[in-house]
Amino acid sequence: MAIPGYHGRVLDIDLSTGNIKSGALTPEDILLYLGGRGLATKLFFDRMEPAADPLGPDNVIIIASSPLVGSQAPTAIWGYMVFKSPLTGYLGGCNLGGNWGRAFKASGYDAIIINGCARQPVFIDLSPEKIEIRHASHLRGKNISESINLLTSQSPGSRPCQALVIGPAGENLVKYATVASDKYSLYNRGGSGAVFGSKNLKGIRVCGEEKIRISDKARYQASLDQANYLLKQSPITRRLMRELGTAGFVLLARHLNMLPHRNFLDAEPDVEKVKAISGEAIARCYLEKADSCYECPIACLRQTAIKTNDACLRCGQGPEYETVAMMGSACDIYDLDCIIRASYLAGELGLDAVSFGGTVACAMELAEKGYLTSGQSGDLELKFGRSELLEKLVELTAYRRGSGHLLAEGSYRLASACGHPELAMQVKKLEIPGYDPRASYAQALGYMTSPTGACHRRGGYAASLSLLGGNKGIPRFSLFQSPITIRNLQNTGIIQDSLGVCYVTGFAFGVEPWSRIVSSITGYDFSAARLEEIANRVASLERLFNLQAGLNPEEEGLLPSRFAEIPIMSEGKPRAISRENMLQMCRDYYRARGWNGNGRPGDSYLKAMKVEPKKAES
Amino acid sequence: MARQKWSADEDIFKLFHSIGHASLLSDIQDSHSGNMAMRWKNAQGKEVIVITATGSQKGDLEPRDLCYLSPVEIDSGYYQASSETDIHVKILSLPGAQASMHAHVKELVMATLDDQPAPKTPPPFIPVDPLAFYHLGPEIPVDWFAVPSGSPEMAKTIPARLKDHPLTVIYGHGAMTRGRTLKETFFNLCLASNAGYIVRLIERQIRSTRVKRHALKTPEKQEKNLPPEAPLPVGQCPELEDLRSKMKAAPESYFHFCPAPYNPDIENRCDFPEEEEIIKEFRRAGNRLFESRLSPFHTGSMSVRGVDYLFYAPQASMPYEVGAPLLKLPLAPEPGDDVELLLHKKIYAESDFQTLIHAYVPEAEAHAHLIYPGEEAPIEKIIPVDAEGSFMYLVIPVLPPKVAEDQLITSLSDYKVAVVRGGGVWAAGGLSLSEALHHPSSLREICLYRLAAVERGLDLRKMEPEKAKKW
Ligand code: SF4
Repeated sequence: MAIPGYHGRVLDIDLSTGNIKSGALTPEDILLYLGGRGLATKLFFDRMEPAADPLGPDNVIIIASSPLVGSQAPTAIWGYMVFKSPLTGYLGGCNLGGNWGRAFKASGYDAIIINGCARQPVFIDLSPEKIEIRHASHLRGKNISESINLLTSQSPGSRPCQALVIGPAGENLVKYATVASDKYSLYNRGGSGAVFGSKNLKGIRVCGEEKIRISDKARYQASLDQANYLLKQSPITRRLMRELGTAGFVLLARHLNMLPHRNFLDAEPDVEKVKAISGEAIARCYLEKADSCYECPIACLRQTAIKTNDACLRCGQGPEYETVAMMGSACDIYDLDCIIRASYLAGELGLDAVSFGGTVACAMELAEKGYLTSGQSGDLELKFGRSELLEKLVELTAYRRGSGHLLAEGSYRLASACGHPELAMQVKKLEIPGYDPRASYAQALGYMTSPTGACHRRGGYAASLSLLGGNKGIPRFSLFQSPITIRNLQNTGIIQDSLGVCYVTGFAFGVEPWSRIVSSITGYDFSAARLEEIANRVASLERLFNLQAGLNPEEEGLLPSRFAEIPIMSEGKPRAISRENMLQMCRDYYRARGWNGNGRPGDSYLKAMKVEPKKAES
Repeated sequence: MARQKWSADEDIFKLFHSIGHASLLSDIQDSHSGNMAMRWKNAQGKEVIVITATGSQKGDLEPRDLCYLSPVEIDSGYYQASSETDIHVKILSLPGAQASMHAHVKELVMATLDDQPAPKTPPPFIPVDPLAFYHLGPEIPVDWFAVPSGSPEMAKTIPARLKDHPLTVIYGHGAMTRGRTLKETFFNLCLASNAGYIVRLIERQIRSTRVKRHALKTPEKQEKNLPPEAPLPVGQCPELEDLRSKMKAAPESYFHFCPAPYNPDIENRCDFPEEEEIIKEFRRAGNRLFESRLSPFHTGSMSVRGVDYLFYAPQASMPYEVGAPLLKLPLAPEPGDDVELLLHKKIYAESDFQTLIHAYVPEAEAHAHLIYPGEEAPIEKIIPVDAEGSFMYLVIPVLPPKVAEDQLITSLSDYKVAVVRGGGVWAAGGLSLSEALHHPSSLREICLYRLAAVERGLDLRKMEPEKAKKW
């Protein structure tokens, strides 16, 4: 019998051959890697050839669920996906909320492994009776909501089901295309949509009603009570998120000189203009209601509406903080209407708003400096502040038309094509999200050491502690403290991703309540120390994959020179991060992780971590 | 040498002012009580005694409230200085005594009161907490004086006492202490006050539970058909005396470790001036420990770890105005490290914590000695009975004094905070000092509520949530 909290089954699908196998999940993998991100990384690592072409048939996609998903634990609905990223060439990883994670778990599997490439568009149909690879030609070219509607309205036996799909951006192999469910819940960063697209995989449909077992119900209930109490107690999870959503961070970030402005040239956009794109402005003018992922008590999502040209209302979700920061102030755009329209369209076509915004900001700077030729820009007069171009650029990018062809490659390839790669604000070719690294050294280090490139969630969300850390507030400019801080934050992220819970809970509590919940569900002792150990193991495995995929620690994604050369003002002082300080923080971080000074986990460390060196080195 | 009304050295004034203010915040003075004195070399290199003026408000000193006296000859300054000047001058002539201080340490005075007829011969005070036990000694003298303020009798007895003891108690009045610095004298007085408070809490705890405990019919009593015992007679507490005599006989069995001696040589050291934000965090947390009485002045320790070094405050409880040393030390153990520092290093070596605080929360120290009615051994966990505490923690482990390091580390991993009976409170933070600070602060409240319940005769067992008992 499977360990409580798990089904003990893994589905293995080869799209090239059409083979479908169901295998057993080993207790060892569970106890060492837990679930979600940890489990997905392990399954990926064991199967993936590191040098394989990310857009070739050998790329492996793993989607894994977690022991808490399917329980009543607050926010435990997330699923995690791992793949080799076509944008970075390294590990790709992201998670997804909404309803899909829970529905996938109810299908009776803990993980799904997808490799190979279908000859024509297909979708995977997963139901209690049957698992099939089915034709999806009728879905080709359809946007996200159309595809989801078509798949879910034609489910076998008209049972409720959920779907995970790509939009045109994924089909057109845009390097930062997303995979989406629930219309707007996304596996957003690193180009998972392009990997689906490269496999001719339009989506996955799941339905099922399998439940998980709970090992110790009394203890489970007590620990749930505690977690729910703490969520209700924190003003951020109780109020701020519900009332303003993540866009509530916009003004806070501006006040801390953390909000990017004009492709990170500075961090001081005009406060009055920023107010126009703030969470408060969204709540005042566009919010229909606070929305949530499945039964989440926090409800940070925004259901908004804008007026169309014919005065009708068009509803959608968001925008989130990242979208506002990257399509807004990073592009010097403060027209909320335009940002929302573009954000809706990006969601529908399947584009990651962060990478898209970062790439457009980069294009605007390149164009203003005369480095982007009119041929490259497709005769669009790109300039900071041109809000009216946003929606158009989304479309061009998703369909790779005109200037969209270059934009679809991401900022680094775009800037390189223009001869100025230094103007791409990225790390490992992944665009830096909406927190200026000069305003938080720990966040800067997080971007540099994140396994997936400049991602605040995988890299450790240090910026959130500057914004709303409460008693976890950390020094923003400490070279001494940042390496341990970022290791610990990354570990917390790995634990949340592996448990399938939302990062927003981190504003209310840390790992201990989760440790109690997962222990009570599984009946195994997942103490906080053990969860930390799992996180260290997962981080090492992610690192190993990147090293094997060609990452050179000596040249490892440092921040672009802009962040060393142009200081921003913060707390009354000019703040920049010299190259020397970047290198020093990275070296300290490696040692904080227990890796060698050159950023490689050593044999003895891997042995202590129970990472099999044979598999690791093969 | 007369009082130099307007030429007070700025540094010496700041020192007196800050200690005076801190002593008021510690509630060891009333508005005008107590006095402080120290030997000091003035700008001309001449040694003088600086002493607070009689009737001055120690919590809010003005430059004119400091008097500068010759240590060898009586001058007019004597008449403006403290009424206890003679005693101070004599104390300051003791070898190594650079400073002396007198304060109304009410908690200790209350703990030493008796109802014997005068003239009294009070017994020495025996502390039951490690700080006072090791820093002030296992027996703190208590003397009764017919004229207990500035009398020749006191001027004779007190300096003699302070030859052999760092601090001595004036029955019904306060305490007098000597030190190498003024901060050390304040440190001694705070420990004395804290020791009195802990003894009183334990006594109240024993008295309140004794009624219940002795009313319980043990099988032995039932067999012999013995009646339940009567409550304790006023003024006696055999269980407390028993604890004291056992501690005196074998302190190593009752205390986690012997704290390092007070070190006045590192007073103003700061090894990491470039890390302004971390310094600010240390000072904020240290001030909170002090002001909220989570640890007596300059006791406890806190640290923030880096990769090769840790930033370490060995005298954690520090009022803003007074401060404390902030050291940068290698993370690897070194010869000469004291037990407390080694424990910080060991915990970091075995965990991912970024911050640690060790504080001597008096309420937790006292409460850790609670024995539930009908039980033989002290509690092993503190179960909050207040709403917030019970959701934040469910339970907080109470570890035995001889706890193994590994067990302490495991407890910290699981609970982030642990009480060591006879060893204070350890708390850990994943990221910030503030996070670690929250634990002793919450714990103090949790213990206060539980202590209040005990005192009111409520049944704690009934109040503790069932889910926590099973935890
Ligand atoms: S907090 Fe927001 S993103 Fe997280 S689970 Fe709840 S609704 Fe979803």
